[in-house]
Amino acid sequence: MNLKVKTKLVKEISESQNADIEKIKAGNDIIIECKNLNLWYDDNHALKDINMIVKKNKVTAIIGPSGCGKSTLIRSFNRMNDVIEGCKTEGTVEFRGRNIYGNRISAMKIRKYIGMIFQKPNPFPMSIYDNILYGPKIHRMRDKKKLETILKNSLEMAVLWDEVKDRLKDSALGLSGGQQQRLCIARTLAIEPEVILMDEPTSSLDPIATAKIEELINDLKEKYTVIIVTHNMQQAARISDYTAFMYLGELIEFGETEQIFENPQERLTENYITGRFG
Amino acid sequence: MSKSELHREIINLKQDVLDMGKLSLKMLEDSIISLNTRDLELANEVNHNKHKLREFDAHIEERALKLIALYQPMAIDLRRLATILKMITYLYRLGRYGKDIAAIVKLLTDKTPLSEMLSITHMWEHVKSLIEDSIEAFDTSEITKLKDFEERDNEIDQMRWSIFRESVSYMMEDPANITICAHIIMIARYLERCGDHACKIGEKVHYMVTGGHIEIS
Repeated sequence: MNLKVKTKLVKEISESQNADIEKIKAGNDIIIECKNLNLWYDDNHALKDINMIVKKNKVTAIIGPSGCGKSTLIRSFNRMNDVIEGCKTEGTVEFRGRNIYGNRISAMKIRKYIGMIFQKPNPFPMSIYDNILYGPKIHRMRDKKKLETILKNSLEMAVLWDEVKDRLKDSALGLSGGQQQRLCIARTLAIEPEVILMDEPTSSLDPIATAKIEELINDLKEKYTVIIVTHNMQQAARISDYTAFMYLGELIEFGETEQIFENPQERLTENYITGRFG
Repeated sequence: MSKSELHREIINLKQDVLDMGKLSLKMLEDSIISLNTRDLELANEVNHNKHKLREFDAHIEERALKLIALYQPMAIDLRRLATILKMITYLYRLGRYGKDIAAIVKLLTDKTPLSEMLSITHMWEHVKSLIEDSIEAFDTSEITKLKDFEERDNEIDQMRWSIFRESVSYMMEDPANITICAHIIMIARYLERCGDHACKIGEKVHYMVTGGHIEIS
């Protein structure tokens, strides 16, 4: 399929995309909602009129070929793009009904509620103990008993407690890749966020570590809302409740994961997930 | 292996399913011809073809499962493979009914030929066309062919009961007819089931093309 045909298809589908969103919107459990979100990196229009919702206590996956804007979109959800020079955002991203790009909202505070896990595990060069409690401490928590409860709960929630409980004072850099990624998840959980953003969290891990993280994501949705960007479509199909397919900065199709992977409504989605392009 | 190899292999599998469909139809057709002509040699050939049919079933299933395991196909690719896996079961059953009818032919050699009178051939023409259309819909992904399937299947059901009534009256006329008529009733039942299998193929083809499930009852 050439670029012209693809671009035409992208234009044709915007109406049906809005209809899909209206259907999913039913119910009052929306935690994040983007309205006409546009983003530019200087002259590069990276996100084009994105309208999308994220439901509470669900896993939402964002898929699409490289450079389609999926990482940019997920980073918009906690204002991580703010630090990029030349980046301009228009439209709104509402978290619990409030625009996070509003004038009186601090990005720091947003990131307390909306945590993020990156592609490559990035533990701080300090002990496991200090990694986990770094967040609570900068949020001025001093109560030692409380801190230890947070430490244990976060590590247990990230299914890491049994593996590290006897070496909490050891450097986090001595952990395996999979353990380091779970440590980063535990570190995010320690500040008790409501939403966890994951940008390809398993792409640098082996299959066993990947399976553990996937299992963990499934457990996490009982308490948290998870948004995950992934290149691995089977992973999106396995772990998510909703899937968004992006292409050339536009949201092409958004719907229940089962429907997207079994019977996508848009030809572009179908061609991408069946490996005919991308 | 790349995705394009998956697509190539799906095309090969599709061709094998079409070939299996041809074999199933041939087994049924030959069994009806041998029934009408009491051609024992042809009946034996139908019986012999059951091995080939079994091979088609086993090989296609194995390759489809392997593709699912290796590529985790999605959307149309997944639906096509799911349809293929179900379809070979229906095609296998169709061919086996041919074998069952051929087995009856062997039992009837010394008996008076009654089948032509009993509208079996007429019923077969309807069943055959339904099977052909279901396989063609699979081949071309053209689901408009499925529109009148329910109606046509109902006609086939009625033919079955008509043959049943006709057979009962022959049996009442002369008890010597009981054995052959009992067999004819069985054959009508097999053909009626063949019509049902063609409808099931139609349902799966509809799923393959649209992703939606329908019931042709």
